[in-house]
Amino acid sequence: MKTHRDDFDLAAELRALRPAPRHEFADELDARAASGFASQTDPEATAWQRLVERVRAIGPRNVLVPVTASVLLAVVVATAVIVNERPGPDENRGQVDRLALENRSPSVKHQFSDALPNPGAPPSESSLKGGAGAGTQSTKPSAGAEGGLQYESAPATGSGQAPATGNRDVERGAELVLRSNPGEVEGDARQVFAAVRTAHGIVLNSSVHDQAEGDGESTAEFHLLIPSAKLGDAMASLSRIGAVSSRHESTADITAPTVTARDRLRGSEAKIDGLLAQLAGAESDEERTAVERDLRRERRIAASLRARLDRLHRRARYARVTVRIEGDQAAGGSAGWGVGDALDDAARILVVVAGVVLIGLAVVGPLALIALLAWLAHRIWLRRRREAALG
Amino acid sequence: MNEAVVAPAVEFPRGGKEALAFDDLYRESRDDVYAYVAGMLRDRGAAEEVTAAAFERAYRKRSRFNPRRGSPRAWLFGIARNAALDELRRRRRHAELNDEPIDLDGLGAAQQSERSELRLALAEALELLEPRERELVALKFFAGLSNAEIARVIGASDSNVGTRLHRVVNKLREVLDEDA
Repeated sequence: MKTHRDDFDLAAELRALRPAPRHEFADELDARAASGFASQTDPEATAWQRLVERVRAIGPRNVLVPVTASVLLAVVVATAVIVNERPGPDENRGQVDRLALENRSPSVKHQFSDALPNPGAPPSESSLKGGAGAGTQSTKPSAGAEGGLQYESAPATGSGQAPATGNRDVERGAELVLRSNPGEVEGDARQVFAAVRTAHGIVLNSSVHDQAEGDGESTAEFHLLIPSAKLGDAMASLSRIGAVSSRHESTADITAPTVTARDRLRGSEAKIDGLLAQLAGAESDEERTAVERDLRRERRIAASLRARLDRLHRRARYARVTVRIEGDQAAGGSAGWGVGDALDDAARILVVVAGVVLIGLAVVGPLALIALLAWLAHRIWLRRRREAALG
Repeated sequence: MNEAVVAPAVEFPRGGKEALAFDDLYRESRDDVYAYVAGMLRDRGAAEEVTAAAFERAYRKRSRFNPRRGSPRAWLFGIARNAALDELRRRRRHAELNDEPIDLDGLGAAQQSERSELRLALAEALELLEPRERELVALKFFAGLSNAEIARVIGASDSNVGTRLHRVVNKLREVLDEDA
C-alpha cells in the first residue's frame, strides 16, 4: 500500500505552511524598529507596569556600577560619622592644632586665681597669658569655712539639698590623670575650665605649666568641686580632653555624722530655749548671771554644731575632683606623629570600616536573601503559569 | 507557496558598545518570529501584536543579552515565547480563545490554486496537535530553529527536543495516512 510517507516530504510541506507577515505589518514594524520603539509604549499599561518594564530593561550589569558606588559611598559616610562620633583619647587633636603648637613660645607658665564671683567660670584669655613667671604657683580660695570657699555663692544644683543615695548622705570624690601633648596642656586647661563651667562647678585651685618645646615638663593640676548630681557628666567631659591614664572615684557614707550633728543641734537649740525661759524667770542677779553664762556657752555649742552640719551638707552636695594633665610625647605631638601613628590610624580606620561593613551585611544580607527568594519564587510561579497556557 | 517578505536593513539607534547586533538579529528573525507566534496563536492580528511586543521587549533588554547563555536567536525566541504565552493566558482568562484553523490565505501559505490536497490535509493535521506539539512544529519548521536553539527556548535538553520532534512528525504522518 502506498502511503504519504513514500512520496511526501513532510518537512518541506510544513515549511511551505509557514505563516508570513503582511506587508503593511512588516513595514510598520520596520518603522517602529528604526525609531528604537521610542513612542510605542503600551498606552494601556499602568505607571507601575511601565516602571517595572523600564527597570527590567536596565539590566543587572548596568545596575551593578551605580549600586556598588552607592554602597561604597554609604560605607565611607557611615565610617566618617562613626569616627567623628567616637573620638578616641588621642583623636581629638587635629593637625591644625599641632601646627599651631609649633608657633608657640617655647615655655609658658600660668597661674590661675579661681576665687571667682562666678564659680567655675574659666579665666579670661588675658589671665591665662598674664601669669607667666618662674615656677609654678597655685592659689587658694579666700578664707572661709572648709577650705576658705563661700559655698553659698555657688550656683544652685538640683533641689539644693545634699545628694543622697536613697535617704543616705554620700560624699563623692574623684581623681583623673590625663595624658596630653606637651604643647597642648594650655589648651586642655581651657577645656577643663569649660567643663567645670558647664557642670556649674568650682575651681578651688589650679596650676598650669606648659613647656611647649623645652626640656621641662608640661603639667597642669586642678582641684575642683563639682555638684555631685553632675559628677558623671563632668567626668565624662573631662575624660574626653586627653588620654586617660588613670581614673579613680570614691564614695563615703556620711549619714551617721550628719544625723548625729543634726540631733545634737536640735538638743542644743532646745536647751537654749529652756535657758531663755529660765533667764526670763530669774529673780536675782546671781541667778541671771549664771543663766547668761550657760546661755553663751550653749550658743557657742549650737553655732559649732550648725557649722559642722553645714560642712557635712556641702561635702554631700559637692564632689571633690582632682584633675592632673601630664604632657607626654607618646600621647601624640607634632614631633611624635610618624609612620607608626599613621599605621595605627590606618588600622583603626580599617577596623571601623570593617565594623560598618559587617553591620551593613548583617542588615542587608537577610533582606537581600528574602528579596532573592521572592524573586526566584516569582520566576517559578510565572514560568508555571506560562507553561500552563500550553496545557 | 509562501510569499517571502524580506526584512530590509534597519538601522537601530545605538547606545554604545553592545554585545548584540540587534540590527542583524531583527533582519534575520523578523519573519521567523512572526511565523512562530502565528503558528502558536493561530490569530494573525494577535500574532502581529505579540511579534511587535516581543521585538520591542528584546530591544529594550538587548543590553542584558549574555552570549554564554545561548545564541541571539534562542534569546529572542525565548522572549517571543513568553509574550505569546502571556497572550494565550490573557485570551484564556477572558474566555476569548479563538481556536481557528490555520488561515492559509491569511498566513501567506500557498496560493489557492496551487494548494494541494495533501497540503490541506497537513494543515488540518496540525490542528489536531497538542499546543506543545504545535509549538515544536512552529519553532522547527516555521521559525527554522535548530534543536539546540529549541531546547534553549523551551527549557529542555537537546535529545528531548529531538525525541519529541520525531514523535510529532510521526504523529502527523499517521494522521495523513489515516486520511489517505
